[in-house]
This record gives sequence, structure tokens and C-alpha cells, in this order.
Amino acid sequence: MEKIRATEFFAPDISADTAAFWEGCKEHKLVLQKCKKCGKLRWPAAYLCPNCLSDETELCELSGEGVIYSYAIYHKPFHPSVADKVPYVVAEVDLKEGARLVSNIVDCELSELKCGLPVEVRFIDGEGYARPVFVLKK
Amino acid sequence: MDLSHLKNKIAIVGVGYTPQGKIPGRTAASFHIEAVRNAIEDAGITKDDIGALIVYRHFDAIAGDYETTAFTIGEQLGVSPAIISQEHQCTRGWLFNSIGLLNSGLVNYVVISYGDNARSGKRSYVKELSGGKATDELAAYGDLSTMAKYAMLARRAMDTYGTGPDVWKEISVAQRRWAQLNPIAAMHGKPLDYEGYYAANMVVDPLRLLDATPSSDGGRAIVLTTAERAKMLKNPPVYIRGIGSANRPVSPFKLDLEDDRNAATVSSRMAFEMAGIEHKDVDACELYDCFTYTVEATLRDYGFFKPSEVKEFITAERLGPGGELPVNTSGGMLSEAYYMGLTPVAEAVMQLMGRCGDRQLGKVPGSKTPEIIVCSDNGGVFQSHATLVLSRED
Ligand SMILES: [Zn+2]
Repeated sequence: MEKIRATEFFAPDISADTAAFWEGCKEHKLVLQKCKKCGKLRWPAAYLCPNCLSDETELCELSGEGVIYSYAIYHKPFHPSVADKVPYVVAEVDLKEGARLVSNIVDCELSELKCGLPVEVRFIDGEGYARPVFVLKK
Repeated sequence: MDLSHLKNKIAIVGVGYTPQGKIPGRTAASFHIEAVRNAIEDAGITKDDIGALIVYRHFDAIAGDYETTAFTIGEQLGVSPAIISQEHQCTRGWLFNSIGLLNSGLVNYVVISYGDNARSGKRSYVKELSGGKATDELAAYGDLSTMAKYAMLARRAMDTYGTGPDVWKEISVAQRRWAQLNPIAAMHGKPLDYEGYYAANMVVDPLRLLDATPSSDGGRAIVLTTAERAKMLKNPPVYIRGIGSANRPVSPFKLDLEDDRNAATVSSRMAFEMAGIEHKDVDACELYDCFTYTVEATLRDYGFFKPSEVKEFITAERLGPGGELPVNTSGGMLSEAYYMGLTPVAEAVMQLMGRCGDRQLGKVPGSKTPEIIVCSDNGGVFQSHATLVLSRED
């Protein structure tokens, strides 16, 4: 059985829109934008709400619980520096509060993975940043 | 939306090919200009007749090449068209733009072109990194490919509809069979069986190497004009009977499998309605096939089969030579060459003009001479889509 372990990839390129999310990650908090007018959670980050175009935004700390919408398992390293990291799993996670996030699934057997499985967030510290990853909820 | 006033008003009248496959020592622009020269010659017009030059998106310059822009191509062709443009990223607006330009009377001929030296230049297609540094958030998760974005939707379709490699192998093998009838196809002379498909390396699970389009050197161009002008040119015109265009500009990760706003679904409804056709009227499909799964998704979203019937519908027998619904008769991008939307569109035009040699529908045993061919052009990750219903008769 192939076990997927947590690993570090590349420091993200952070924009003015995504800064709050990555700041939250440093404190191991999953923070997304939420529209104050219509209440929709927003990912990817942006200046306006794509639902109602309001610019009134608040930050919302989430539970970090969700389910896997889908996932892909990288077997081929697309860059020399990830050659020792394959296989690894990139996944889409539907968060309980109603937003979808791209992330990794770690600490699992490849054979355990399935769409719809419940997952919960963990944080991995990298150099100067931290990123959210998800583990299967036991 | 009633687009019936546009029915059969515009035609495709010329196709330009270049050497294709592995052609080292050439710039990307050289393939554009060779394809355009050959397309206008094929149409029987001169370069000064080009009123609009629309160039497909171009990836970063590679292998010491310079940037390929619409200006460069215009300069190298020695033309000064009224309209010159380049599709940014992977939007697919060229079709409606061409029709608008021709109907406005501003221009008489539109040329669309694509070219790249991707194979010799070993294009990586990794845009999440530049110089080993992340260009956005995705590299933080090791997400370094377009393929993974398609793989995730393919995985979701496996769980939802029961598709998977046993369906995709049928697409792969069917298109490889077509390539055996096309001497300029990259995979001509390289037949493939199911065993060969399964033997290919897993790249981004659930997609294998043979689920993905290999890169090509070369280019392709087409010429569009009004139906009136088309009738006076040397090739039999191929009329645009129906067109559809739709965009779903959200992050690929936010696309849902079951969503009637999906670009292919919206675009195909528009095109079928305008053309006044049903699925049974379609003699063949030439579909944008960056991945095997894209063919399945397009046929499904176009309504050729019910999602739950994917395994029964998608068989190499049905899609391949002699099958009930020929798909990607040149071998497609998977087995012929990757020139974005011009791979499928050029093949549909050549089939309807009757210029396809051994793979010509009507000559292939068990096939009929095509009257109507449906084409798709897909951009991004199912985010931008155009549909063409092409017809021999006006
Ligand atoms: Zn809102």
C-alpha cells in the first residue's frame, strides 16, 4: 500500500486578494472571505462578491471540516524538485460551510481515497508560510 | 436566443496545413505563416484579401524562440488587415468574432491560425511555476498541470457515472484506428490495442499518458467568408449551419459535473437549435480532445448519450472507422496533431469537401458520405467552448 505523507512544495505567490487567507494559515486558521450582503463564502479570493458584487467583505474562520469533491494523484513529477514527492494527492474539498477549496489529502493510503469522504484540515508549516492540507476523518 | 438569421450565411473555404509531427529547427511563427499561406492558396485568395487575422493563444516562447504575437505573424506575412487579434489565454471567441466581422461588412475574409514548436521545444505546459517560483497559490499544493484539473473532473465522473479507463481506452483505440488511415497523423503506422493503452504510464491518476494529447510541431489555418463569396471560390463551400458559444469562467476546481451552465452544454444547445438539427442528423463529430475524457464529456454534455449509459455508448466500434458515430476521423489531437480547435475544425471541413483520402467518410467501409458534422473547440478547463455545425449544403 502506498502511504501519502505530508510534504512541502513551493511557497505560494500571494496577492492582495489572497493575503488574508495565507495570514490565517500562519496561525493555523482556515479563513475565507464572506460577503456581508448576501452571506456567500468566497474562494478564490477577490475584491467583490461574484454573487451580488458587494464590496462589503468580512473574514470568516471555518471549522475545517468538509468532504472530498474529487481528487487527482500525481504520479509524474512535473518539475524536477517534486521528483521525490510523487505520488501525492491534489484534491477539491467542499467545506461544511459551503465553499470549495483546492488542497492536498495527506496521511492516507491511496486505496482509501474516494469522492465524498469526510475530511478535516491540518496545517503544514513551510518556510515563511503555512498551508492547509486535509486528512481523512476517522 | 434566435440565431437562425445567421444560418448558412458564413462558410469555410480554405484549409492550410504544414509539415507536422517533429520538425526541429523552426520557430512557432514559421508554422503560423506557412499555414496561412497554404490556407489562402487553398481558398484561392491573395494575402491582400485578408481583412481579419485572428491568431490562437500562444504559450510562452521556448527553445530560444521569440514571442509569437499577431503582430509578428502579420509582419511576416506582409499584410495590414483591418482587424488583427489574438485570443488571450484559452478563450474561444474566434468563431463569433469572425461571423460578426463578416456580417458587418467590415471585412471580406477572415483567417484563423495556430502554430507551435511545442514538440521540438519540449514545451512543459506548467504555468503554475516560472523559473522554479510559484506564479499563484496552486504550486503550494504541488498542483503543476492542466492535466490534474481534467483528471479531477474525470475522477468525479468515475464515481458519479461509472466511467473510467475502460471507457477511455475505447476513445484512445478508436482514434488510433482513424490515424492508421491518415498518413500525416503522428500515430500513423503505430496501431494501438487495449493492452497498449493500459501499459501506458499513469501520469495524473486517473489519466494515463495515452489519455493526453502529445505535443506537436506545426500549424493549421482556415479561411472564412460570406456564403455569397464562397460560392465563387474554387473549393466546395462548407457552410456554418449552427454556432454556439459559452463560457463558464470559474476556477476549474469549482466546475461541477452536473451543472446545466457548463459551457459545452450551453454552447451545443445554441448550435443545435440554430442549425435545426437533432443528434440523429449528425454524420460525424470532430471534437476537441486534449484528453480522452474531454471527448466523453463533450459527447455527454452535447446530449449524445445519457450519463448513466456511458459504457454502452462509448465503444471503439461506434466511434472508429465504420462506426455509427465517427469521432475524430483524422486521429484527432490524441493521434494526429495538436493545433487546438483547428485540428477538429480543419478535419470537418476536409471531410465535407471530400478531400480525406483513405479516411474519407463515404469511402471507409460501413460509413456514409457526410452532410452534417459537429465540431467543438474547448478552452481552459471546460471554461470556454464553441460549437460548430458544419454542412455541405446551404
Ligand atoms: Zn454577495
